[in-house]
Amino acid sequence: MRHRASRRDFVSAGSLGFLGLTLREYLAAAPARLPETARANSVILFWLEGGPSHIDTWDPKANSNFKPISTNVAGIQVSELLPQIAKRMDKLALVRSMHTRGTDHPQATHYVITGHEINPAMQFPSVGSIITKEMGPRNAVPPYVLVPKWDRGRQYEDYFRASFLGGDYDPMCIPDPSRPNFEVTDLSLPKTVSQVAVESRSEFLKVVDRRYRALNETAEHADMDAFTAQAWKMLLTPAVRDAFDLGKESQKTKERYGLDSVGQSCLLARRLVEAGSRFVTAAGYHGNSWDTHSDNDKGHRDRLAPPLDRTLSALLDDLDERGLLATTLVIAMGEFGRTPMINPNLGRDHWPNCWSLALAGGGIKVGQVVGSSDEKGYNPASRVVSMGELYATIYKVLGIDWRKEYMSPIGRPVKIANSLDDRTGEPVGELLGS
Amino acid sequence: MRPLLVLVLAACAAWADPKLVSLKVVPAEVTLSGARAGQEFLAMATYADGAVRDVTAEAEWHVSNPAVAERSAPARLAAKVDGTLLLTAALGAARAQASVRITNSRVERPFSFSRDIGAILTKRGCNGAACHGGVKGRGGFKLSANALYPRDDYEWITKGGTYQVLTSEVKGERIPRVDLKNPERSLLLVKPTMAMPHGGGKRFDKDSEDYRTILAWIRKGAPYGAEGGAKEPKLTRLEVYPPLTAMPVEARQHLLVTARFSDGHTEDFTNQVVYASNNGDVAGVAPDGVITARRLGETSILIRAAGQVASAGVGVIGPPIADYPKEPRWNFIDEPVFSKLEKFHIIPSRVADDGEFLRRVCLDLTGTLPPPERVRQFLASRDPKKREKVVDALIGSPEFVDYWTFRFSDIFRVAIFANGLTPKWSQKYWEWIRHNIETNRPYDEVARERLSAEGYGAASRHFLPYNLIGPPGDVMAEEVRVFFGRRLDCAQCHNHPYENWSQDQFWGMAAFFSRMFKMGPVVFDHPTNMDLSSKDVDGKIQLLHPRTKAPVTPALLDGTRPQLAPDANPRQALARWMTAQPYFAEAAVNRIWGLFFGRGIVEPVDDFRSTNPPTHPELLAALAKDFREHGCDLRRLMKTIVMSRTYQLSWQPNATNREDVVNYSHALERPLDAEVLLDALVQVTGVPETFSTAVTDGSSVGQAPAGTRAINLKDPDMYFSRFLELYGRPNRGAIPERTGKPNLGQALHMLAGATYMNRLSGKNSRLARLLEAGAPDAKIFEEFYLAALSRFPTRDETQELEGILAKRGDREAGLREFVWALISSREFAENH
Repeated sequence: MRHRASRRDFVSAGSLGFLGLTLREYLAAAPARLPETARANSVILFWLEGGPSHIDTWDPKANSNFKPISTNVAGIQVSELLPQIAKRMDKLALVRSMHTRGTDHPQATHYVITGHEINPAMQFPSVGSIITKEMGPRNAVPPYVLVPKWDRGRQYEDYFRASFLGGDYDPMCIPDPSRPNFEVTDLSLPKTVSQVAVESRSEFLKVVDRRYRALNETAEHADMDAFTAQAWKMLLTPAVRDAFDLGKESQKTKERYGLDSVGQSCLLARRLVEAGSRFVTAAGYHGNSWDTHSDNDKGHRDRLAPPLDRTLSALLDDLDERGLLATTLVIAMGEFGRTPMINPNLGRDHWPNCWSLALAGGGIKVGQVVGSSDEKGYNPASRVVSMGELYATIYKVLGIDWRKEYMSPIGRPVKIANSLDDRTGEPVGELLGS
Repeated sequence: MRPLLVLVLAACAAWADPKLVSLKVVPAEVTLSGARAGQEFLAMATYADGAVRDVTAEAEWHVSNPAVAERSAPARLAAKVDGTLLLTAALGAARAQASVRITNSRVERPFSFSRDIGAILTKRGCNGAACHGGVKGRGGFKLSANALYPRDDYEWITKGGTYQVLTSEVKGERIPRVDLKNPERSLLLVKPTMAMPHGGGKRFDKDSEDYRTILAWIRKGAPYGAEGGAKEPKLTRLEVYPPLTAMPVEARQHLLVTARFSDGHTEDFTNQVVYASNNGDVAGVAPDGVITARRLGETSILIRAAGQVASAGVGVIGPPIADYPKEPRWNFIDEPVFSKLEKFHIIPSRVADDGEFLRRVCLDLTGTLPPPERVRQFLASRDPKKREKVVDALIGSPEFVDYWTFRFSDIFRVAIFANGLTPKWSQKYWEWIRHNIETNRPYDEVARERLSAEGYGAASRHFLPYNLIGPPGDVMAEEVRVFFGRRLDCAQCHNHPYENWSQDQFWGMAAFFSRMFKMGPVVFDHPTNMDLSSKDVDGKIQLLHPRTKAPVTPALLDGTRPQLAPDANPRQALARWMTAQPYFAEAAVNRIWGLFFGRGIVEPVDDFRSTNPPTHPELLAALAKDFREHGCDLRRLMKTIVMSRTYQLSWQPNATNREDVVNYSHALERPLDAEVLLDALVQVTGVPETFSTAVTDGSSVGQAPAGTRAINLKDPDMYFSRFLELYGRPNRGAIPERTGKPNLGQALHMLAGATYMNRLSGKNSRLARLLEAGAPDAKIFEEFYLAALSRFPTRDETQELEGILAKRGDREAGLREFVWALISSREFAENH
């Protein structure tokens, strides 16, 4: 439905001063007040694309070819592939009884990112979009970022979008920061555009648009003016550009995270939440997927677990050193686990029935394991956790009412924490230490 | 502007003292049949200024024969004994009459659960969507919304039990909600009277008529009553008077609701329905059906009776306009549009000037801006038929085929999927669409071929996303949405919460798609009587109802089960039936209309429902009839639309129509869709865009041929484009919806993004060519204005632009900045 802007809206939006910075002061990113119940103010999703084998990582079993090793928390073991993480188990909580839906990558990615199965009748908002909508931006920094974007295909990226919540809550998808020519588009004016050019552009625009705008007062025009003012603010605020500038990090820090896509994406995620982003998906595994249908062990040993071990450890240490760990929730997960049995290609296939993930920071009770799987990791043995329960936990940590339902444009209620069998998920008390 | 103001002031004077022209009583003739049958009457007065007002309360009423019927104030009659009478209304000197016949005054209507109890459950809001009529019911008690399924309601009430969405099994112990031993202690009575706590609050009193009806029913043993077999007439339709009413702020209008039954008889249902306003700020409605106008605007009043829904349109209008201009009608579209505008006291804008018209019609028919030369020619031409000629030329142009192939590729979802990267298949499907557009194939034929979904033909490709045939329910719901404009999806899991769609209807329709198989890219139906001896083909495959787990056989929405041969493709029967239904033509014309006006007559264009009525029902019907009568010819439909005066009105509003966004009183500005806008940017600046299938380290894996337009990308999903994503290119993984809403990303991209920055210079750009040719500033401004806005700059505009440029010092840089401003302007980015 269209709306007409009232005359007054139009006047305030239309009479922007130079660069639009003197009016619409309310756009000056008011520091969003967190509800008193909030423990954290931002989330980093360390996206383990393709689905790690749970029994070869977080939930070691006898049917894994890797040995379990002890951690710095008595009684908790992880796979020998994660030696650095084992030394930081006191900063992590593991859930070993995730039970989700979707047996191929699109289905499962959609399911864990939105909490809903793919439905051709409608598209669902992603968890990042919901958090962005509920919490609002901070410090004019893009609140929702996905790094790096997929090189091929838009399908997965679409699952991370806002659907009916609207473009304001779509993630900003940026290129791979580990590449030498990394540049975030649209966040800085090309060097060829001088201050004089900026002024002359806006003078020309005023003349070109005057006749049309004088007779046409729509809400869309007022919104576009507001966005333009906000855009100028971002373009002219060095802090925003700096948040994306890995050149501001020392070589030592870069190496600590790892110079590959996995490491640099997580480093960028840390810079962004530090600057004010709400939800950053660090998806550096695009080119190095956990989808080990063949040679599972080799893949996990040689190319997959080492970057996870290194980068997650670095991220936890770095957040901790900067005093950000308490307010930043870190989630390391993929879209499912992998089969406990080995296939003829020495690989492991998709397994949504039972898998594991790791949480840290953000007021989560760490140094513990929640839920368990059966002997070989086929099914949860205790404390089944659904996506809806995980989301409810995250929302609670962020001070968001997890019982909320949105109305889709056609009036279908959509639970923001959708658990199995269409129930509203409840926070996992064990993870909250309550 | 000034003459209009005078006009409005003059109108106000007229408003104060309208002269009564005529008076009528509604209904003018009626038969009351059955014991205590009743009827509400209205007195409607017509005034000299054309206003029609409800004067029922002011009129004096007189009954000629009080022995046969009793009148209660102001104008309700209740039958006493058989006979006839005249009911007279008098207002001032005016008189009007209704003749009333009373029959069967001693015949009691037999009790019926669906009618008598269903009416109470509906009227008292018990079965509303927010209460027990919700998908899962409330507090464990589920009723069908609006008493649509009285059999189910009867069971939940008399047998008890808690409904579950995903299974037909009843949860927990079954405790009846009626107590036959102690009728007064029945839950059905103690809850709504709040004798026991009730989340829904008090619905009726112990001494109400409704309470007594339910109690008497339980005392009789709670029978289902006259079984809804052939004997009991069914409520088939609700008729509302007036269907559309225009009223000034604070005026009142009583609605009359007449129920039409399957045996042909009618009854006054004014007091047996629930009223709700779609927008209470504009007009509210009281439980007795009296509308009160609150502020200028338009809304609908929804009227629900057990099993049926209807609606009435209400426009709250400004003062009448003296000397309302006589608006010529150019074709059949204009009459319903202009007569409604006149009724609503809105004056349409003037007809668009040539430049305005040309830009709009080029964008709407071809998604392409007219080049400056074409604009010049058109503006200069004195041919009185030039508009029609340009329309014919556009409809016959290659760009028309490009553009409508793009539009239908969206609607029909030509897409490749990550798991089945088979562009060869999707391109065949795209070529099928293009061929249909190119040859102007009748739309019903196109629909039948797609619906039939069989063989190697390209239309069947649509059913093979993921290289698999989709689930029958999903596939069917999409076909119904595309070709019927109706959304059945909700009924997949449960009866639709506000519509007459049941889960059984959903799965009956889905069953037409339930035996589809594929071998390679060939789609066929597995014969029901044959074993194909293939491990991939399960001959016993059956579609099971998700709740009852019973096998489902194909049934049309109207319940008919077509006779199907064991080796027949059942969808041929479905396709014939669907394309013959009125829904089909209505949905088609509404969808096309929406693309030309920025909103459908039903909006959203694929959300027809009784609770979302059309703004112009007669127009919708007339367009559908014309479309049907002319062989479902899309080109003819489009020409009819663009040749109407309605379409050709200016976007520039006047004092009376500025606020109107639903009545087509002026052209609504619409943002250009992402692909069209990108093509326009390229066209105006002369700097082409490159589309790549991947962006890796600056090198690309695949590129669309140089100069490819965004609307001509066969598999847009394969191509990256920050611009297209920011401007709302839909993901074709689901039925596309475009919102065209601005966002922050667009603003950033416009100020600093590559799409805009790259457009400002370049060897063969329009600017470079003009500079090379030595064009003076004014000429450059003019060329760009013609290219981007299809108009000449005004003298003031040219002067000011020259002033800014002179001040800038650097001519070339200044001109680039001017080009940026032009392509960043709203006048450019919108169709108007």
